[in-house]
Amino acid sequence: MRNIQQTLLFFLLLPIFAIAQNNITEEKSSVTIEVDGKEHIIKRVEGKDVYLTNEFSLTSRPSPPFYIQAFKVSKGVDTYGELEVIDFLEKKKGVFIDARLTSWFEKSNIAGSVNIPFKVFLSDDTKRDNALIKLGAKKNKGTWNFSKVKTILLYCNGAWCGQSPAAIKALIEIGFPEKKMKYYRGGIQSWQLVGFTVNVPNKEATK
Amino acid sequence: MKLVLSIALLFSILSAGKYDRVKITEDMSYVLVYHKGHAIKIHRIQDIKNHLTGTYAKISYPCPGQCIQPISFNDQIETVGEVEVVKFIKNQVNNNKGVVIDARPKKLYNQETIPSSINIPFSLSQNTKAMDNILAVLGVVKKPNGTFNVKKAINLIVYCNGPWCSKSEQLITGLLKKGYPADKIKYYRGGFQMWKSLGLTTVKTK
Repeated sequence: MRNIQQTLLFFLLLPIFAIAQNNITEEKSSVTIEVDGKEHIIKRVEGKDVYLTNEFSLTSRPSPPFYIQAFKVSKGVDTYGELEVIDFLEKKKGVFIDARLTSWFEKSNIAGSVNIPFKVFLSDDTKRDNALIKLGAKKNKGTWNFSKVKTILLYCNGAWCGQSPAAIKALIEIGFPEKKMKYYRGGIQSWQLVGFTVNVPNKEATK
Repeated sequence: MKLVLSIALLFSILSAGKYDRVKITEDMSYVLVYHKGHAIKIHRIQDIKNHLTGTYAKISYPCPGQCIQPISFNDQIETVGEVEVVKFIKNQVNNNKGVVIDARPKKLYNQETIPSSINIPFSLSQNTKAMDNILAVLGVVKKPNGTFNVKKAINLIVYCNGPWCSKSEQLITGLLKKGYPADKIKYYRGGFQMWKSLGLTTVKTK
Protein backbone atom coordinates (compact mmCIF):
# COMPACT_ATOMS: atom_id res chain seq x y z
CA MET A 1 0.00 0.00 0.00
CA ARG A 2 2.75 2.40 0.97
CA ASN A 3 4.63 1.57 -2.17
CA ILE A 4 1.62 2.38 -4.31
CA GLN A 5 1.23 5.69 -2.52
CA GLN A 6 4.86 6.55 -3.09
CA THR A 7 4.63 5.62 -6.75
CA LEU A 8 1.50 7.70 -7.15
CA LEU A 9 3.15 10.66 -5.45
CA PHE A 10 6.17 10.29 -7.70
CA PHE A 11 4.08 10.45 -10.85
CA LEU A 12 2.02 13.32 -9.50
CA LEU A 13 5.12 15.38 -8.78
CA LEU A 14 6.94 14.47 -11.97
CA PRO A 15 5.25 17.03 -14.23
CA ILE A 16 5.89 19.79 -11.67
CA PHE A 17 9.62 19.16 -11.80
CA ALA A 18 9.52 18.88 -15.55
CA ILE A 19 7.74 22.24 -15.92
CA ALA A 20 9.79 24.13 -13.36
CA GLN A 21 12.90 24.14 -15.52
CA ASN A 22 14.00 27.66 -16.44
CA ASN A 23 16.93 26.93 -18.70
CA ILE A 24 18.96 29.53 -20.57
CA THR A 25 18.60 27.82 -23.93
CA GLU A 26 17.26 24.40 -24.84
CA GLU A 27 20.76 22.96 -24.52
CA LYS A 28 22.00 24.91 -21.51
CA SER A 29 20.55 24.96 -18.01
CA SER A 30 23.47 26.83 -16.47
CA VAL A 31 26.97 27.98 -17.26
CA THR A 32 29.94 27.91 -14.92
CA ILE A 33 32.60 30.51 -15.49
CA GLU A 34 35.85 31.08 -13.70
CA VAL A 35 37.22 34.52 -13.01
CA ASP A 36 40.40 35.05 -10.99
CA GLY A 37 40.22 31.52 -9.64
CA LYS A 38 36.65 31.97 -8.49
CA GLU A 39 33.75 30.04 -9.91
CA HIS A 40 30.46 31.70 -10.76
CA ILE A 41 27.34 29.90 -11.86
CA ILE A 42 25.17 31.76 -14.35
CA LYS A 43 21.58 30.59 -14.48
CA ARG A 44 18.05 31.88 -14.69
CA VAL A 45 15.89 32.33 -11.62
CA GLU A 46 14.06 29.19 -10.50
CA GLY A 47 10.39 28.88 -9.77
CA LYS A 48 7.18 29.96 -11.42
CA ASP A 49 5.95 33.39 -10.45
CA VAL A 50 8.99 35.46 -9.69
CA TYR A 51 8.77 39.21 -10.39
CA LEU A 52 11.37 41.94 -10.55
CA THR A 53 10.64 44.45 -7.81
CA ASN A 54 14.01 46.07 -7.08
CA GLU A 55 15.19 49.43 -8.43
CA PHE A 56 15.75 47.88 -11.86
CA SER A 57 12.01 47.63 -12.35
CA LEU A 58 11.88 51.45 -12.48
CA THR A 59 10.71 52.51 -15.93
CA SER A 60 11.42 56.23 -16.05
CA ARG A 61 14.83 57.61 -15.28
CA PRO A 62 14.96 61.41 -15.49
CA SER A 63 16.32 63.23 -18.55
CA PRO A 64 18.94 64.54 -18.55
CA PRO A 65 21.11 62.57 -18.12
CA PHE A 66 19.11 59.47 -19.02
CA TYR A 67 17.80 58.75 -22.51
CA ILE A 68 17.08 55.53 -24.37
CA GLN A 69 20.25 54.53 -26.18
CA ALA A 70 20.52 53.69 -29.87
CA PHE A 71 20.82 49.98 -30.60
CA LYS A 72 24.37 50.47 -31.84
CA VAL A 73 27.06 52.82 -30.50
CA SER A 74 29.02 52.72 -33.73
CA LYS A 75 28.95 50.70 -36.94
CA GLY A 76 31.99 48.59 -36.10
CA VAL A 77 31.03 47.86 -32.48
CA ASP A 78 28.83 44.77 -32.16
CA THR A 79 25.87 44.94 -29.82
CA TYR A 80 25.52 41.84 -27.67
CA GLY A 81 22.56 40.14 -26.05
CA GLU A 82 22.65 37.79 -23.08
CA LEU A 83 23.69 34.67 -25.03
CA GLU A 84 26.60 36.51 -26.61
CA VAL A 85 27.68 37.80 -23.18
CA ILE A 86 27.64 34.25 -21.80
CA ASP A 87 29.59 32.94 -24.79
CA PHE A 88 32.16 35.72 -24.30
CA LEU A 89 32.61 34.70 -20.66
CA GLU A 90 32.59 30.96 -21.27
CA LYS A 91 35.20 31.13 -24.02
CA LYS A 92 37.23 33.81 -22.21
CA LYS A 93 37.18 36.06 -25.24
CA GLY A 94 38.32 39.15 -23.35
CA VAL A 95 37.58 41.54 -20.51
CA PHE A 96 33.98 42.05 -19.36
CA ILE A 97 33.74 45.62 -18.06
CA ASP A 98 31.09 47.05 -15.76
CA ALA A 99 31.36 50.71 -16.78
CA ARG A 100 29.20 52.03 -13.94
CA LEU A 101 30.41 53.96 -10.93
CA THR A 102 31.97 51.80 -8.24
CA SER A 103 29.10 52.34 -5.80
CA TRP A 104 26.76 50.59 -8.26
CA PHE A 105 29.21 47.77 -8.92
CA GLU A 106 29.55 47.10 -5.22
CA LYS A 107 25.80 46.74 -4.78
CA SER A 108 25.32 44.20 -7.55
CA ASN A 109 26.92 43.30 -10.83
CA ILE A 110 27.02 40.63 -13.50
CA ALA A 111 29.26 37.72 -12.58
CA GLY A 112 32.57 37.80 -14.38
CA SER A 113 32.76 41.56 -14.77
CA VAL A 114 35.44 43.93 -13.55
CA ASN A 115 34.66 47.51 -12.66
CA ILE A 116 36.23 50.29 -14.73
CA PRO A 117 33.93 53.32 -14.30
CA PHE A 118 33.20 55.05 -17.63
CA LYS A 119 34.73 58.29 -16.32
CA VAL A 120 38.13 56.63 -16.36
CA PHE A 121 37.97 56.51 -20.15
CA LEU A 122 36.76 60.09 -20.55
CA SER A 123 39.82 61.96 -19.34
CA ASP A 124 43.35 62.10 -20.67
CA ASP A 125 45.27 61.21 -17.51
CA THR A 126 47.42 58.55 -15.80
CA LYS A 127 44.38 56.71 -14.48
CA ARG A 128 43.09 56.16 -18.01
CA ASP A 129 46.55 55.34 -19.35
CA ASN A 130 47.04 52.67 -16.69
CA ALA A 131 43.65 51.16 -17.45
CA LEU A 132 44.47 51.04 -21.17
CA ILE A 133 47.91 49.52 -20.55
CA LYS A 134 46.24 46.81 -18.44
CA LEU A 135 44.03 46.06 -21.43
CA GLY A 136 47.09 45.55 -23.63
CA ALA A 137 47.57 48.99 -25.17
CA LYS A 138 51.03 50.52 -25.48
CA LYS A 139 51.96 54.18 -25.36
CA ASN A 140 55.05 55.34 -27.22
CA LYS A 141 56.02 59.02 -27.14
CA GLY A 142 52.43 60.04 -26.67
CA THR A 143 51.08 57.76 -29.41
CA TRP A 144 48.88 54.78 -28.63
CA ASN A 145 49.42 51.37 -30.16
CA PHE A 146 46.34 49.20 -29.86
CA SER A 147 47.49 46.29 -32.04
CA LYS A 148 47.69 43.83 -29.14
CA VAL A 149 44.76 45.07 -27.12
CA LYS A 150 42.29 42.62 -25.56
CA THR A 151 38.67 42.51 -26.71
CA ILE A 152 36.46 44.35 -24.26
CA LEU A 153 32.74 44.01 -23.60
CA LEU A 154 31.05 46.88 -21.77
CA TYR A 155 27.73 47.24 -19.97
CA CYS A 156 26.03 49.61 -17.58
CA ASN A 157 22.60 49.92 -15.95
CA GLY A 158 20.35 49.35 -18.93
CA ALA A 159 19.16 50.49 -22.32
CA TRP A 160 18.56 53.94 -20.75
CA CYS A 161 22.13 54.29 -19.54
CA GLY A 162 24.66 56.27 -21.57
CA GLN A 163 27.74 55.36 -19.55
CA SER A 164 29.07 52.39 -21.52
CA PRO A 165 28.27 54.13 -24.86
CA ALA A 166 30.19 57.21 -23.61
CA ALA A 167 33.19 55.05 -22.71
CA ILE A 168 33.10 53.31 -26.11
CA LYS A 169 32.88 56.64 -27.96
CA ALA A 170 35.83 58.04 -25.99
CA LEU A 171 37.86 54.93 -26.83
CA ILE A 172 37.01 55.18 -30.52
CA GLU A 173 38.27 58.76 -30.46
CA ILE A 174 41.73 57.74 -29.29
CA GLY A 175 41.94 54.92 -31.81
CA PHE A 176 40.87 51.81 -29.88
CA PRO A 177 39.77 49.41 -32.67
CA GLU A 178 35.98 49.18 -32.96
CA LYS A 179 36.21 45.46 -33.72
CA LYS A 180 37.78 44.95 -30.30
CA MET A 181 34.81 46.50 -28.50
CA LYS A 182 31.40 44.97 -27.79
CA TYR A 183 28.38 46.62 -26.19
CA TYR A 184 25.87 44.78 -24.00
CA ARG A 185 23.10 47.36 -24.36
CA GLY A 186 20.52 45.59 -22.19
CA GLY A 187 22.86 45.95 -19.22
CA ILE A 188 22.12 44.79 -15.71
CA GLN A 189 18.43 45.70 -16.10
CA SER A 190 17.73 43.42 -19.07
CA TRP A 191 19.97 40.79 -17.51
CA GLN A 192 17.50 40.61 -14.61
CA LEU A 193 14.37 41.05 -16.71
CA VAL A 194 15.10 37.88 -18.67
CA GLY A 195 15.63 36.06 -15.40
CA PHE A 196 19.34 36.05 -14.64
CA THR A 197 20.50 36.49 -11.10
CA VAL A 198 23.03 39.16 -10.18
CA ASN A 199 26.25 38.85 -8.30
CA VAL A 200 26.23 40.61 -4.92
CA PRO A 201 29.85 41.07 -3.82
CA ASN A 202 29.22 42.04 -0.18
CA LYS A 203 26.92 39.12 0.40
CA GLU A 204 29.59 36.75 -0.80
CA ALA A 205 32.24 38.27 1.42
CA THR A 206 30.19 37.56 4.53
CA LYS A 207 29.53 33.95 3.58
CA MET B 1 19.66 85.34 -5.25
CA LYS B 2 18.59 81.83 -4.28
CA LEU B 3 14.96 82.84 -4.59
CA VAL B 4 15.52 84.24 -8.07
CA LEU B 5 17.21 81.00 -9.08
CA SER B 6 14.49 78.80 -7.70
CA ILE B 7 11.81 80.91 -9.36
CA ALA B 8 13.70 80.62 -12.64
CA LEU B 9 13.99 76.87 -12.14
CA LEU B 10 10.32 76.51 -11.29
CA PHE B 11 9.42 78.55 -14.34
CA SER B 12 11.54 76.41 -16.63
CA ILE B 13 9.93 73.26 -15.23
CA LEU B 14 6.42 74.64 -15.69
CA SER B 15 7.10 75.84 -19.19
CA ALA B 16 8.87 72.68 -20.29
CA GLY B 17 7.09 70.21 -22.51
CA LYS B 18 4.67 67.80 -20.92
CA TYR B 19 6.89 64.83 -21.74
CA ASP B 20 10.30 66.39 -21.10
CA ARG B 21 10.93 65.02 -17.63
CA VAL B 22 11.61 61.58 -19.06
CA LYS B 23 12.44 61.77 -22.74
CA ILE B 24 12.86 59.12 -25.41
CA THR B 25 16.10 60.54 -26.79
CA GLU B 26 17.80 63.87 -26.18
CA ASP B 27 15.94 65.49 -29.08
CA MET B 28 12.67 63.56 -28.93
CA SER B 29 10.03 63.65 -26.20
CA TYR B 30 7.14 62.09 -28.07
CA VAL B 31 5.92 60.95 -31.47
CA LEU B 32 2.37 61.25 -32.71
CA VAL B 33 0.91 58.15 -34.41
CA TYR B 34 -2.41 56.70 -35.40
CA HIS B 35 -3.66 53.45 -33.94
CA LYS B 36 -6.88 52.16 -35.48
CA GLY B 37 -7.91 55.72 -36.36
CA HIS B 38 -7.07 57.25 -33.00
CA ALA B 39 -4.24 59.75 -32.60
CA ILE B 40 -1.84 58.60 -29.90
CA LYS B 41 1.32 60.19 -28.51
CA ILE B 42 4.12 57.73 -27.91
CA HIS B 43 6.11 59.06 -24.96
CA ARG B 44 7.47 57.69 -21.70
CA ILE B 45 5.74 57.49 -18.32
CA GLN B 46 6.72 60.75 -16.63
CA ASP B 47 6.53 59.54 -13.03
CA ILE B 48 10.16 58.78 -12.13
CA LYS B 49 9.00 56.53 -9.30
CA ASN B 50 6.98 54.29 -11.58
CA HIS B 51 7.79 50.58 -11.43
CA LEU B 52 7.12 47.96 -14.06
CA THR B 53 4.40 45.72 -12.67
CA GLY B 54 2.19 42.90 -13.91
CA THR B 55 2.93 40.23 -16.50
CA TYR B 56 5.99 41.89 -17.99
CA ALA B 57 7.75 42.33 -14.64
CA LYS B 58 7.85 38.54 -14.46
CA ILE B 59 11.37 37.15 -14.63
CA SER B 60 10.78 33.39 -14.28
CA TYR B 61 10.32 31.84 -17.68
CA PRO B 62 10.22 28.13 -18.44
CA CYS B 63 12.72 26.92 -21.00
CA PRO B 64 12.21 24.82 -23.12
CA GLY B 65 9.53 27.20 -24.30
CA GLN B 66 10.75 30.65 -23.36
CA CYS B 67 14.46 30.30 -23.98
CA ILE B 68 16.70 33.34 -24.45
CA GLN B 69 17.09 34.30 -28.08
CA PRO B 70 20.37 35.29 -29.74
CA ILE B 71 20.85 38.95 -30.64
CA SER B 72 20.44 37.95 -34.29
CA PHE B 73 19.04 34.75 -35.81
CA ASN B 74 19.84 35.58 -39.42
CA ASP B 75 22.74 37.67 -40.76
CA GLN B 76 20.42 39.31 -43.27
CA ILE B 77 17.94 40.61 -40.70
CA GLU B 78 18.98 43.68 -38.74
CA THR B 79 18.12 43.82 -35.04
CA VAL B 80 16.86 47.15 -33.70
CA GLY B 81 16.01 48.72 -30.34
CA GLU B 82 13.37 51.12 -29.06
CA VAL B 83 14.90 54.30 -30.53
CA GLU B 84 14.89 52.73 -33.99
CA VAL B 85 11.30 51.50 -33.54
CA VAL B 86 10.08 54.98 -32.55
CA LYS B 87 11.94 56.60 -35.45
CA PHE B 88 10.54 53.95 -37.81
CA ILE B 89 7.02 54.78 -36.64
CA LYS B 90 7.70 58.50 -37.12
CA ASN B 91 9.30 58.24 -40.56
CA GLN B 92 8.00 55.02 -42.12
CA VAL B 93 4.66 54.16 -40.55
CA ASN B 94 3.42 57.76 -40.56
CA ASN B 95 4.28 58.00 -44.27
CA ASN B 96 2.66 54.68 -45.20
CA LYS B 97 6.03 53.18 -46.06
CA GLY B 98 6.22 50.67 -43.27
CA VAL B 99 4.37 48.82 -40.56
CA VAL B 100 5.19 47.48 -37.11
CA ILE B 101 4.06 43.87 -36.66
CA ASP B 102 3.07 42.37 -33.33
CA ALA B 103 3.69 38.62 -33.85
CA ARG B 104 2.09 37.59 -30.56
CA PRO B 105 -1.21 35.72 -30.33
CA LYS B 106 -4.33 37.78 -31.01
CA LYS B 107 -5.42 37.66 -27.38
CA LEU B 108 -2.28 39.43 -26.17
CA TYR B 109 -2.44 41.98 -29.00
CA ASN B 110 -6.02 42.81 -28.09
CA GLN B 111 -5.07 43.32 -24.45
CA GLU B 112 -2.17 45.69 -24.97
CA THR B 113 0.18 46.56 -27.81
CA ILE B 114 2.65 49.08 -29.23
CA PRO B 115 0.76 51.99 -30.85
CA SER B 116 0.33 51.64 -34.62
CA SER B 117 1.21 47.93 -34.71
CA ILE B 118 -0.87 45.44 -36.60
CA ASN B 119 -1.26 41.86 -35.44
CA ILE B 120 0.06 38.98 -37.49
CA PRO B 121 0.21 36.03 -35.10
CA PHE B 122 3.30 33.88 -35.75
CA SER B 123 1.07 30.82 -36.08
CA LEU B 124 -0.25 32.14 -39.39
CA SER B 125 3.17 31.64 -40.99
CA GLN B 126 2.22 27.95 -41.32
CA ASN B 127 -1.01 28.80 -43.11
CA THR B 128 -0.43 29.27 -46.88
CA LYS B 129 -3.74 30.94 -47.63
CA ALA B 130 -3.48 33.33 -44.70
CA MET B 131 0.08 34.20 -45.68
CA ASP B 132 -1.02 35.06 -49.22
CA ASN B 133 -3.56 37.51 -47.80
CA ILE B 134 -1.00 38.95 -45.39
CA LEU B 135 1.53 39.42 -48.18
CA ALA B 136 -1.08 41.27 -50.24
CA VAL B 137 -1.59 43.71 -47.34
CA LEU B 138 2.18 44.21 -47.13
CA GLY B 139 2.43 45.17 -50.80
CA VAL B 140 3.43 41.82 -52.28
CA VAL B 141 1.57 40.87 -55.46
CA LYS B 142 0.91 37.22 -56.30
CA LYS B 143 1.36 36.69 -60.00
CA PRO B 144 -0.91 34.34 -62.00
CA ASN B 145 1.89 31.76 -62.19
CA GLY B 146 1.99 31.55 -58.39
CA THR B 147 5.22 33.49 -57.84
CA PHE B 148 5.38 36.78 -55.93
CA ASN B 149 6.36 40.26 -57.00
CA VAL B 150 8.08 41.75 -53.96
CA LYS B 151 9.14 45.03 -55.59
CA LYS B 152 6.59 47.06 -53.64
CA ALA B 153 6.91 45.20 -50.35
CA ILE B 154 6.83 47.69 -47.46
CA ASN B 155 9.32 47.94 -44.59
CA LEU B 156 8.60 45.89 -41.48
CA ILE B 157 9.64 45.74 -37.86
CA VAL B 158 8.60 42.51 -36.16
CA TYR B 159 8.43 41.97 -32.40
CA CYS B 160 6.90 39.59 -29.87
CA ASN B 161 6.92 39.23 -26.08
CA GLY B 162 10.56 39.75 -25.22
CA PRO B 163 14.14 38.55 -25.66
CA TRP B 164 12.97 35.09 -24.58
CA CYS B 165 10.33 34.82 -27.29
CA SER B 166 10.92 33.08 -30.63
CA LYS B 167 7.65 34.04 -32.35
CA SER B 168 9.21 36.95 -34.28
CA GLU B 169 11.79 34.59 -35.71
CA GLN B 170 9.08 32.17 -36.78
CA LEU B 171 7.07 34.87 -38.54
CA ILE B 172 10.12 36.44 -40.19
CA THR B 173 11.31 33.03 -41.39
CA GLY B 174 7.85 32.46 -42.88
CA LEU B 175 8.01 35.79 -44.70
CA LEU B 176 11.51 35.09 -46.02
CA LYS B 177 10.36 31.72 -47.36
CA LYS B 178 7.78 33.56 -49.43
CA GLY B 179 10.54 35.71 -50.88
CA TYR B 180 10.01 38.81 -48.73
CA PRO B 181 13.20 40.92 -49.11
CA ALA B 182 15.41 40.53 -46.02
CA ASP B 183 16.52 44.17 -46.17
CA LYS B 184 12.92 45.24 -45.63
CA ILE B 185 12.50 43.34 -42.36
CA LYS B 186 13.91 44.34 -38.99
CA TYR B 187 13.75 42.42 -35.72
CA TYR B 188 12.93 44.22 -32.46
CA ARG B 189 14.34 41.62 -30.08
CA GLY B 190 13.59 43.49 -26.84
CA GLY B 191 9.92 43.20 -27.73
CA PHE B 192 6.97 44.10 -25.58
CA GLN B 193 8.77 43.46 -22.29
CA MET B 194 11.59 45.91 -22.97
CA TRP B 195 9.17 48.46 -24.48
CA LYS B 196 7.23 48.41 -21.21
CA SER B 197 10.36 48.32 -19.05
CA LEU B 198 11.26 51.76 -20.45
CA GLY B 199 7.82 53.18 -19.70
CA LEU B 200 6.91 53.68 -23.36
CA THR B 201 3.27 54.23 -24.30
CA THR B 202 1.07 51.21 -25.06
CA VAL B 203 -2.53 50.99 -26.20
CA LYS B 204 -4.90 48.95 -24.10
CA THR B 205 -8.33 47.66 -24.98
CA LYS B 206 -10.63 48.05 -22.05
